[in-house]
Amino acid sequence: MRNSHPVVIFIGQPNCGKSTLFNAIAGYKAEVSNFPGTTVKHTHSIVNIEGSFLNVIDLPGTYSLNPSEPAEKVVLTHLFQERPDLIINVADASTLGRSLELTLELRELEYPMVVALNMVDLAERKGITIDSSQLEKTLGVQVIPTIATYGRGIKELLEAAFRCLDEGCPVSSPRWSKDVEEEIDHLVGEIPANFCVVANKRFTAIKLVEAGQQFCADFLEDVDSSLKETVDRVKETIEKKRSAPAYEVIAAERHHLALKISEQCSRVQRGRHLTWDKRLDSVLMHPVLGYPLLAAIFLAFFFFIFKIGNPLEGALLRPFSSLRSSLSGVLGSGLLFHLADGLLQGVGGGVAIVLPYLFPLLFLMAFLEDLGYLSRAGFLLDTFMHRIGLHGKSVSPFILGFGCNVPAILSTRTLESRRDRMITSLLIPFIPCSARTTIILALVAFYLGPLWALGFYIFNILIVAGIGRILTFFFKTPSPGLILEIPSLKLPSLGNMFRKTYFQLKSFLIFAWPILIGGSIALSVFQFLSLDRLFNALVSPLVVYGLGLPRELGVTLIFGFLRKELSLVMMLQALGVDYTSLLTVISREQIVIFTAFVSFFIPCLSTFAVLWKEVGKKVAFLSAGLSVATALLISLIIRLIV
Amino acid sequence: MMNPRGDGKKTMNLYQAPRNTKLRIVSILGGEGVRRRLFALGFHQNDFFEVDSQAILKGPLLVRNLSSDMSVAIGRGIALKILVEIVPDEK
Repeated sequence: MRNSHPVVIFIGQPNCGKSTLFNAIAGYKAEVSNFPGTTVKHTHSIVNIEGSFLNVIDLPGTYSLNPSEPAEKVVLTHLFQERPDLIINVADASTLGRSLELTLELRELEYPMVVALNMVDLAERKGITIDSSQLEKTLGVQVIPTIATYGRGIKELLEAAFRCLDEGCPVSSPRWSKDVEEEIDHLVGEIPANFCVVANKRFTAIKLVEAGQQFCADFLEDVDSSLKETVDRVKETIEKKRSAPAYEVIAAERHHLALKISEQCSRVQRGRHLTWDKRLDSVLMHPVLGYPLLAAIFLAFFFFIFKIGNPLEGALLRPFSSLRSSLSGVLGSGLLFHLADGLLQGVGGGVAIVLPYLFPLLFLMAFLEDLGYLSRAGFLLDTFMHRIGLHGKSVSPFILGFGCNVPAILSTRTLESRRDRMITSLLIPFIPCSARTTIILALVAFYLGPLWALGFYIFNILIVAGIGRILTFFFKTPSPGLILEIPSLKLPSLGNMFRKTYFQLKSFLIFAWPILIGGSIALSVFQFLSLDRLFNALVSPLVVYGLGLPRELGVTLIFGFLRKELSLVMMLQALGVDYTSLLTVISREQIVIFTAFVSFFIPCLSTFAVLWKEVGKKVAFLSAGLSVATALLISLIIRLIV
Repeated sequence: MMNPRGDGKKTMNLYQAPRNTKLRIVSILGGEGVRRRLFALGFHQNDFFEVDSQAILKGPLLVRNLSSDMSVAIGRGIALKILVEIVPDEK
């Protein structure tokens, strides 16, 4: 969206704290974590700073302006199509040498720019002191030290931004070694006046040499064949001079200049003393200890959620069931009672059954994300992921899937190859998300005991591995291999964990809860009109003869497509019993079969929609088909065994 | 394998390199995609770094760039394509 307010975009490498900085300015709008690739799409916000409006945009992290991941391509669209009025380049002070590579590349654009030198506290912990005024002089760009997590430096950054917008701040492209400069200059001179120039002629020339297939190379010949010849000649000359491909020479020029500036402007006292994060890391990523710890962390995760959720569920259900029993006394058994009963079941289901498990799950997930554990799990599990044709980079999306499948599928944009994105996106719907965890804990753990639920979880993960293994037979091209940044461990801030949990709970309350309530009321009305029998009769061959479940549950399975929790809430309603007396109408075995079927049988509506959008219609339907087949097979096997 | 410069230093692939020892990247083999991704993460020819750890069962290496102090996990397939040499201790 473009309007009259100045457009300010935040650009930086993955995990440099862009979103934290963005949130500090725009309020909590963008999700932040400690793993590279939290932001996969842009977030924008109009902010009012002392009467002046800015249109601020947070973009996904990008290592360079030569994208290799779909998430990074979003950055180019914003830079080139919606030319910003100001760039705020967020640079991670703790890895300055590398962060400056992007800063130098952004300088090539010659757009107005301010550098936010973020995480200076982390740099100091590593023994790095940066002279920001020296850096400012060397770069020719304003440099403002910030600690976004604590809001430090934000005021100064905004002042610098306004200064830049009001008075202008010319930025000049960095110069490289003479032999490369000569060639680039030559090419700049050859670009015709009517050629579609991006940013400026020099930037366009550099990208023509460096970006290969991504930058109009495919159609350059059709547009201007003599320019194509010049570009090829320039590339050849550079390659001859340096005995390396042209793109590598240019990347190396930036790299060496960035390292040189970083050395000039920072003092490093790298003692051999181990900081807490290094010590913790040596255990977390230990080749032997790392694995039992990983298992222990996930076990603790699971038990915490159960230990908090279970008593809360019991306590919260009581007032709802007593209210329900008094309801029939007051309203009789007419339509009014059915409407009120549906409403109560929907409200009660959300408050008493879903929230007790959802809240601790989201909170603990926020802890793991912010600590930086997801990438570490990726490192440890890489070997196992290879067995299912993927690599460690898919671990973060999988773990996010335990929260909700939708952001998990979106986060596959950080995977480089389409093949990896397809396989990961097909497997994510099999990961038990918070909705299914609620069902597993509220049914299996509540009635059969936590060990059964744990077993169910492990079984679920084995199913994911098995399906992954089968999928590799169809996707034969090898995965491009693991190159994954491991960010420094950070002590999660309680504030951010609560904000993130609140952010996601809010989306449950706004989006999912109304569906639960609406679904419950609809079922109630159906029951009143005896329409549910029609549904049940239609699916009874499957439900009764196939799965061995009570006929009344047919309708709940259909509605489960909207939200998985809806099946659970509706189950009680359909069977016409109280939560505590469920076992009088259904056996423990039937609970396991029902949970298994609901867990696997189809991706929920939101997951299906996001699959369609991200990887296409075919994959979305393939996923649905795969789910139905798996659910049927597993439920039948369970029925035969138990 | 001897270094192509013929200065007597032994080159090896990253997977064979010793742990916690200062190493220098001699060259990066492999296709353009892999090279570009490594450059993007700050791994270039002549850079110094250390291998800090390795996951079990032919798992990835945890590699730390000594100039930018950044850690990256590199899978076995890619590690085999990175040629390195040991940098003698300065002491």
